[in-house]
Amino acid sequence: MSVSTPRAEKPVASPHAPGAAARRRDGRPRRGVKPSRILLVALLTVAALYFLLPVYWLLVASTKSSADLFGTFGLWFSDPQWPHNLSNVFSYDDGVFWSWTWNSVLYAGVGGTLATLLAGAAGYALAVYRFRGREAVFKAVLAGVLLPSTALALPMYLLFSKVGLANTYWAVLIPSMVSPFGVYLCRIYAEAAVPTEMLEAARVDGAGEWRIFGTLVLRTMTPALVTVFLFQFVGIWNNYFLPLVMLSDDRKYPITLGLTTWQTAADRTPELYQLTVGGAFVSVLPLAAAMLVLQRYWRSGLTQGSVKG
Amino acid sequence: MDTSPPSRRAVLRWGAGTAAALTAGPALTACGQSVGAARTTRQETTRRGEKVELVFWTWVPMQKTVDLWNRTHPGIHVEMQTIPANVQGGYQKMHSSLTAGNPPDLAQVEYHELPAFMLVNGLTNLSEYGADELRDSYVPWQWQQGVFDGRVYTIPQASGPMGLFHRRDLFEKWGIETPATWADYERAARVVKARGDGARMCAFAPNQPNWFAAMCWQRGARWVRTEDDTWLVDMDDDLSREVAEYWERMIRDDLVFVEPDISSAWYKHIQSGKIAAWVGPQWGDALLRGNAPGTAGKWRVARLPQWEAGQHVSANWGGSSTAILQGTRHPREALQFAHWINTDRRAVDLNVAAGYGWPAAAGIFRGSALDKPDPFFGGQRYNDVFTASDRAIDTSWKWSPTTDADFAQLQDAFGAAIAEGGSLAGALAEIQKRTVDNLRAKGLKARSAR
Amino acid sequence: MSTETTRTTTSAPGSRRSARPDRAAWGFLLPFVALFLLTFVLPLGYAVYQSLLTPVRSGPLGLGPATLGFAGLDNYALALEQSAFLESFARVLLFGLVQIPVMLLLSTTLALALDTLSHRWAGILRAAYFLPYGIPGVIASILWGFLYVPGVSPIVDLLGKAGLAPDFLGYGNVLWSIANIVIWEFAGYNMLVIVAQLKAIPQELYEAARIDGASAWQTAVRIKLPLARPALVLTGVFSIIGTLQLFVEPLVIKPLTSAVTSSYTPNLSAYNEAFANNNIYLAAAESVILALAASVLSFGFLSLVNRKERRDAR
Repeated sequence: MSVSTPRAEKPVASPHAPGAAARRRDGRPRRGVKPSRILLVALLTVAALYFLLPVYWLLVASTKSSADLFGTFGLWFSDPQWPHNLSNVFSYDDGVFWSWTWNSVLYAGVGGTLATLLAGAAGYALAVYRFRGREAVFKAVLAGVLLPSTALALPMYLLFSKVGLANTYWAVLIPSMVSPFGVYLCRIYAEAAVPTEMLEAARVDGAGEWRIFGTLVLRTMTPALVTVFLFQFVGIWNNYFLPLVMLSDDRKYPITLGLTTWQTAADRTPELYQLTVGGAFVSVLPLAAAMLVLQRYWRSGLTQGSVKG
Repeated sequence: MDTSPPSRRAVLRWGAGTAAALTAGPALTACGQSVGAARTTRQETTRRGEKVELVFWTWVPMQKTVDLWNRTHPGIHVEMQTIPANVQGGYQKMHSSLTAGNPPDLAQVEYHELPAFMLVNGLTNLSEYGADELRDSYVPWQWQQGVFDGRVYTIPQASGPMGLFHRRDLFEKWGIETPATWADYERAARVVKARGDGARMCAFAPNQPNWFAAMCWQRGARWVRTEDDTWLVDMDDDLSREVAEYWERMIRDDLVFVEPDISSAWYKHIQSGKIAAWVGPQWGDALLRGNAPGTAGKWRVARLPQWEAGQHVSANWGGSSTAILQGTRHPREALQFAHWINTDRRAVDLNVAAGYGWPAAAGIFRGSALDKPDPFFGGQRYNDVFTASDRAIDTSWKWSPTTDADFAQLQDAFGAAIAEGGSLAGALAEIQKRTVDNLRAKGLKARSAR
Repeated sequence: MSTETTRTTTSAPGSRRSARPDRAAWGFLLPFVALFLLTFVLPLGYAVYQSLLTPVRSGPLGLGPATLGFAGLDNYALALEQSAFLESFARVLLFGLVQIPVMLLLSTTLALALDTLSHRWAGILRAAYFLPYGIPGVIASILWGFLYVPGVSPIVDLLGKAGLAPDFLGYGNVLWSIANIVIWEFAGYNMLVIVAQLKAIPQELYEAARIDGASAWQTAVRIKLPLARPALVLTGVFSIIGTLQLFVEPLVIKPLTSAVTSSYTPNLSAYNEAFANNNIYLAAAESVILALAASVLSFGFLSLVNRKERRDAR
């Protein structure tokens, strides 16, 4: 496979250190502005407008009253009342929005962290040890990647109900802790990145397997683990179906479910239109910020999954 | 797929209250586990001074009412949990929790959904706990929605008696009299189109099967009835067809907008005065008030237009009850709460403020929050219209146990008919066939009435 | 994702897999495997079991106590008899055939174009493209819903003033309006996967191409594109799975238009069967059919790609 070269390079110190690449970029000879370049920039700008337009609309809409939401031009401000709207979002129904935000952070944070650790351990085991059932486990994991998760939610609910887990935090957390794709990614990364010599040396020093994993391996695998974490975090944050099926107590809802509850009730309680839009805006902010800050981690880890194709 | 059990006794008349077999008890037939509620209701005795905890699922924002109850009833604490509205997830949660054996004690269930809950043994027979004595506190047709085979299965909460919301100012501007009959209404719609500068009389909403059912209900159609142990589906009857053809003509002659109502597009039309009227339910007042504050003072409410001049036959859109689900350990306390929240004067006023609909409690209207002139309706005591409307609703309408699925298909079929230029009346035959299939897919006996 | 490749590309085969007994391996695997069994295998088995059952009614009008009976494959037959369910598969296939190539083309174009830009601007634009991925599908659909509805949408307003009257929610269009939402959500993410792949390409290749006098365009098409192929395969597989699972977007758009039916996609159909009709047995059968279809399509696509790869390698 053609791409095996760059991947194998990854763990080894690359001759193309970031500095070298940057120098190349900065040192690129300036050319005259060609029409093709103008076209290119135009294309990129239009694309940016396309991706940002709905977010901009959301920003504008979150400043409007319910009446203005339907009554005024959507892409410009009209009688902005942001503080009023946002304080409404947070104070409505005894501040239930705070609970939703906190729950989302809890589900995505704790679920994402545990999923990452479990996937890291499992991926490492699949990569480094040869044992009976290894291929069977890996095939099952692959099948797990391909299964539509919505198909599993309902039977899972019935199972969880039988053991009294439905409508508890665990009902959302436990399924969130399982990331077959994470295992897949970690296995591939560990195969390439964890040097056998390092393990052998540690074993000779008398370190136990868990100790080796806890100290050496986790550190080596950090880029992949960060990617898995981000992947899982976003996945849980965006999840709608699982909490819909599992939870009945609205104080345990994540933001997605809470906002749709408002949206469906807006039929009868018009002020909820405004709250839905305002709440959507508030909920987009933290994740958008995280996206921007953590971009490079996405990139560093993602290649690992793709090289296997 | 005929899987009829050995003993399917054909006895009963639906809801007529003749014989007694519904509660024959959970006599399980030989094979397999039972379907539906995994737990049956049982009254648990409480020790003195012990607090009873009840869980109540609803999507109506009634927290303030529940708080009032908790303040005034120290022995019984109710925890209200907000769930997604009806088919948007609420009912599925209830069904799942019944199957799983951990249902809430009380839940919001719409009238048309009650038979579906009966089908899974999902409701507590309240007659065993003295509910029959409460009967006189409620409007008869609403009480009757929860009565199956002479037994009471739910406490009615609110309904949606219908009327004609209309813009007095626009009607006057275009020289339109308030239409008394549907023929008048159609003539008025033609005037609106001619003089209205892009305005229309109203919108036809293919997404609102409940509304269309109400129109057929008013015309005198009865979509479902029973004969022996078989469900008869009668949606493709002459009366429903007449209603369908009426609106088909309105659509064909471009006298109405075709768009989902109670949606943002529709609100936009309401706000900008492009829609002059709405054949809507009483609970629609809050929608107009909240979404089109700029039109305050211009609206009035009139009686529903009639099919025959001089009559007053009304219809209902929406309506729900406080059901006590199968499996509760405190049916008496739950019943006490359900009755209180729907009849206590302060509770009803709080519910009204939350926009829950038209109270099912009888005689509560006078002096309530509803009984006053309203500036949004130009000072009209508009709820007087709905009081009369509520009394003029025919009580013999029945719902099928597969109403949600039937409605989904009605919506799909109407949407397709409009898009492809087909006819609404023609779609009724298809819908009728599908409804029969839906019932059969549930293992029930069903056929078309004609 | 062929496991053969995995083994062959691993450096130093044999030596690293010797040291310790299976016990340590299973120790590392145990927490994951246990939860995997609980949240994947067990529910799947339960769904299959339920799909073989049907309620048997008793009592007057069938409202008496009911029991569960074995139905064999009746539920599957019933699901496949429903023309609406089959149509929903045809619809998502059509959707996928158009939406996936369009999205990947957009993602690839953006990735290649960004690769030629100066560092700072590339970073800002990349962030802008990637932003929608962080917005939950439910919220993205609510947003676009507002932008589709005539009278409310500023886009429809503006286009209307320009003499166009687009009907985003009409029968012929709504599928593509939903496709737009999906593209909006995931194009940036897929772009990032491709960008990541491009970054992994050794810079000498570019240098060499430049020395050979290749234009930026030629470099992009002749060198970068083929090298980005594994990333395209990955995004392709995920897009196929996503398409078959299409659910949230039509669910949210549904109240805005009657063009979206209750069985618009297979997932929506199963959902409605369970939610609206409370027929979990039929819903289970539909879910199992869907899971099978997803596996067949994804594995089929992968083996197709792998076979082509092997042929190319020869």
